[in-house]
Amino acid sequence: MAARIITAGSTEHRNYKLIVGGLGVLAFILFAFAYIDTASLEIAGNKYNLSIIRVNKAIAFAIAILGLQVIVGYTGQLALGQSFFFGMGAYITAWLVADHSWPYLLTLIVVVPACFIVGMILGIPALRVKGLYLALITLGLAAVFPSLVKLDALSDYTNGAGGKSVSESKLIPPGWLGGGVDAPRGTISNLDRFAEFLQTFPVVGGFFGDGPLSSREEERMWKLILLTLMLVACCWLVSNLIQSRPGRAMRAVRDNETGAAVSGINLASTKTLAFGVASALGGVGGTAYVMEVGIASPDDFAQVIAILFIVGLVVGGVGTISGAIVGAFVIVFVPDWSSSTQELPIVPERWLQGPTGSLILGAGLILLTFVLPGGIVAAYRRLKARFIQIVPGVPTMPSMAAAAEAAIDTTGVDTPTAQEPTGV
Amino acid sequence: MTTVRPAEPVLEAKGLKASYGPIQVIHGIDFVVNQGEVVVILGANGAGKTTTLRAISGMIDTGGSVKLNGEEIVGKNSADVVRRGVAHVPQGRGTFPELTVEENLRVGAYVAPKSANLEEDMQYWYDQYPVLYERREQTAGSLSGGEQQMLAVSRALMSHPKLLLLDEPSLGLAPLIVEGLFEQFAKLNKERGMTLLVVEQNAHLALGIANRGYVLESGEIAISGEASELMNNDAIRKAYLGV
Amino acid sequence: MQLFLQRVIDGLTNGSAYALVAVALVLIFKATTLINFAQGEQAMLGAFFALQLWMWGVPMWGAVIISMILSALLAALIERTLIRPFDPSDHLPLVIVTLGLFLGINALAGLIWRFDPWRFPELFPSGVAFSIGGANVTWYAVCTVLSAIVILGSLQLLLSRTKIGLAFRAVSSNLESSQLVGIRVGPTLQFGWALAAAVGTLGASIYVANPVLSIEPTVMLTVLVFAASAAALGGLDSLWGALAGGLGIGFIQSLLVQYAPFIPTELSLLTAVVVLLVVLFFRPAGFFGTAAVERV
Ligand SMILES: Nc1ncnc2c1ncn2[C@@H]1O[C@H](COP(=O)(O)OP(=O)(O)OP(=O)(O)O)[C@@H](O)[C@H]1O
Ligand SMILES: [Mg+2]
Repeated sequence: MAARIITAGSTEHRNYKLIVGGLGVLAFILFAFAYIDTASLEIAGNKYNLSIIRVNKAIAFAIAILGLQVIVGYTGQLALGQSFFFGMGAYITAWLVADHSWPYLLTLIVVVPACFIVGMILGIPALRVKGLYLALITLGLAAVFPSLVKLDALSDYTNGAGGKSVSESKLIPPGWLGGGVDAPRGTISNLDRFAEFLQTFPVVGGFFGDGPLSSREEERMWKLILLTLMLVACCWLVSNLIQSRPGRAMRAVRDNETGAAVSGINLASTKTLAFGVASALGGVGGTAYVMEVGIASPDDFAQVIAILFIVGLVVGGVGTISGAIVGAFVIVFVPDWSSSTQELPIVPERWLQGPTGSLILGAGLILLTFVLPGGIVAAYRRLKARFIQIVPGVPTMPSMAAAAEAAIDTTGVDTPTAQEPTGV
Repeated sequence: MTTVRPAEPVLEAKGLKASYGPIQVIHGIDFVVNQGEVVVILGANGAGKTTTLRAISGMIDTGGSVKLNGEEIVGKNSADVVRRGVAHVPQGRGTFPELTVEENLRVGAYVAPKSANLEEDMQYWYDQYPVLYERREQTAGSLSGGEQQMLAVSRALMSHPKLLLLDEPSLGLAPLIVEGLFEQFAKLNKERGMTLLVVEQNAHLALGIANRGYVLESGEIAISGEASELMNNDAIRKAYLGV
Repeated sequence: MQLFLQRVIDGLTNGSAYALVAVALVLIFKATTLINFAQGEQAMLGAFFALQLWMWGVPMWGAVIISMILSALLAALIERTLIRPFDPSDHLPLVIVTLGLFLGINALAGLIWRFDPWRFPELFPSGVAFSIGGANVTWYAVCTVLSAIVILGSLQLLLSRTKIGLAFRAVSSNLESSQLVGIRVGPTLQFGWALAAAVGTLGASIYVANPVLSIEPTVMLTVLVFAASAAALGGLDSLWGALAGGLGIGFIQSLLVQYAPFIPTELSLLTAVVVLLVVLFFRPAGFFGTAAVERV
């Protein structure tokens, strides 16, 4: 079957984008209401959770991996200790919310600059130290984080090994949407109305639960909305950054550092900016994480989380924005589902209990590097290209140069950087 | 003086092509190096001289045909080519800087035939270049450029090759040292009957010891002939001999 | 004074174990400028092999030696199948593969042996060998330091006196020229991986044989950080540098814990990272390294 060819910027392209976007939003809403309860899927006697809780966690991870995309994917610096900033953001938020009663989102005005600055400072060595050395240092930093927050000296802020809980501060949806803060029990909110509307559909209505939402379900829905908006905002910022002048400089540094320096790019400031942005995104991810799980505890930010983020980065697709999201879902759901698998034919039970998920992720990571260096996103694009191809439009005379530049940009952006394996 | 020159090719290239990734650099060239001959390849910077030698010793993607003593070697990796009797002194020395002089010579004998006597061979080169003997415990990286080139040549010959490939042996060396080296090459050719394929910028010196020569231009052979003919060729005199 | 001596001895003991893992890192780095992030996990797996063999009734040193051979074979297989296919100058895929191994091996060990601490057989006589200035020096301490020195000495001999050892050093020194003298680069690097894994396994076994420690799948996570900073301190491409670096890190760790009360024990890991950072920043070639760090 020949691929359908769509010209970029044409009406057809606009319609295509509208349809795809609209379907996406619709699917998202339906999903949210269907799984607002801890719904699960049953396959061969095993229960697999599809709950919003996990989706929210994946969103938090996605924001952190987005940061890795900026520094590793787009700038080519092997700064791999993202769990450090993820933890830092989480702890700052937990501290401000629990001890100073700040609203969650407001904590971002501290988290973002704090992580940005610390990231820039820790990035200074990277101006001299390259490649594997940087990987070594940053993974070392990631290993240190849990023992840092467990320090006695900081326990007033971090609550030591027990972790900093914010479960007292609920995320209550505003009045126009959900029950509101002082709404009496049993109030029918707009969320309830919508849920009940979905329930009226024949056949599929049953998927959407029964009756109005409980306050816990409303909270969960509100978190999903907030986190999704945070993720969308971060993606939007990153995609703009990547196409801006500093973003082009980053990609130039990634592709050929010497060449970039020769053509007048300031390596130091470009890298420093990338470090700052990446770390800030790590922090925002941490904030999102605390919003969902309600506690910042040291071992949630161990070195292995940094490695999981790298798994997410690679599995999703290095140097792609959507790869961050896909990768985050993989690293949340693969371990979760593998630990929910209680029985499988052939496989002895003993192999299903314990770190099976990590084993799958580790093996998957290696396998993917061989068979699909561009990650899942690249595979999806290859598949999509068989059905629909979007080609740049024929430029009209005056805008020729601009269009050419845009074409160069779009080919540069979102191109997976992982190399095809050579030999064998 | 009589030069023995039975027309028996040691190396015979036909339609040799070589490329770096997608970029083809050598576009199908033919040349022959006969037993006991000294053949020189001349050419401007970037003409593809180094690439030609690298193609022979299996270091890069190569197409066409290269026969070493009648056996096809295109597609073989460098370890296999070297084992069949080719020694290659790459452009810019090619010693092992972290190894001592003596270890360099030992590594050079990595594929030497069983009959070779390692200690005797080392002694031979120490006699040729006493300075190497003095520095035998020093790392190669601490030698001067000239000393390194002597070491590189000695190291290459430790394997008892049938064919010696030399890539710009004169590069960056003082005239006196260059002359010494070329005397050594002439001596190797005369006394041991060693076959040499030499890449040089210094056309005068190279043609002085060569039997025949080829001139490479942009990956193709532009001129070829006897050394004496080339020496008198106007184009070559202009381009490479500076007269 | 007594306390000081005791800390010095402890530092030397731990440092020797770090040094052995550091040597494993250095062996691979020297030849390929690759840092094998899975080195610690490979060593941990090797030590578990030894433990398992011992539990099956193999005499303990026999078990360690067999497991060194097994780890070497496994590493050779890893090199051949997972490392060699990639372009050695492109670091990202290689880092990813070694991190995948890190994750996979750790999980595998967790599946087989659970995340529980196991007693490792004592490889050395127990008890105190002698005391100096009131500080007790255990047999474990004496033997660990001696093992490190003996192993390094034998490695040194292996690399300078044997043909394969010389070839390995030639490949490390100049890849292209080593091909031109007829060395088969792939198998030679494979030899380096195998050697590194064997040394790492021995290092991990000695480390967990410490009477005050036990073995569990997570045991090498921090050791790898210490070993990496030891290796960096020594210049990443020098064997004796790795030993000196290991001892240095061991020293710093145990003295800081004792004499800098404002630095709590948990932060000894941080000191390793700080040392790593400072060394790579100010003295990228370490204190014994030969080449500049700019081999990127
Ligand atoms: N590793 C490489 N990758 C890509 N192109 C290369 C590489 N090495 C050489 N080239 C190109 O191949 C062409 C021939 O190079 P080569 O080194 O063979 O020239 P040469 O004749 O030896 O020149 P010189 O006298 O400067 O040594 C040049 O255009 C060069 O840019
Ligand atoms: Mg050349």
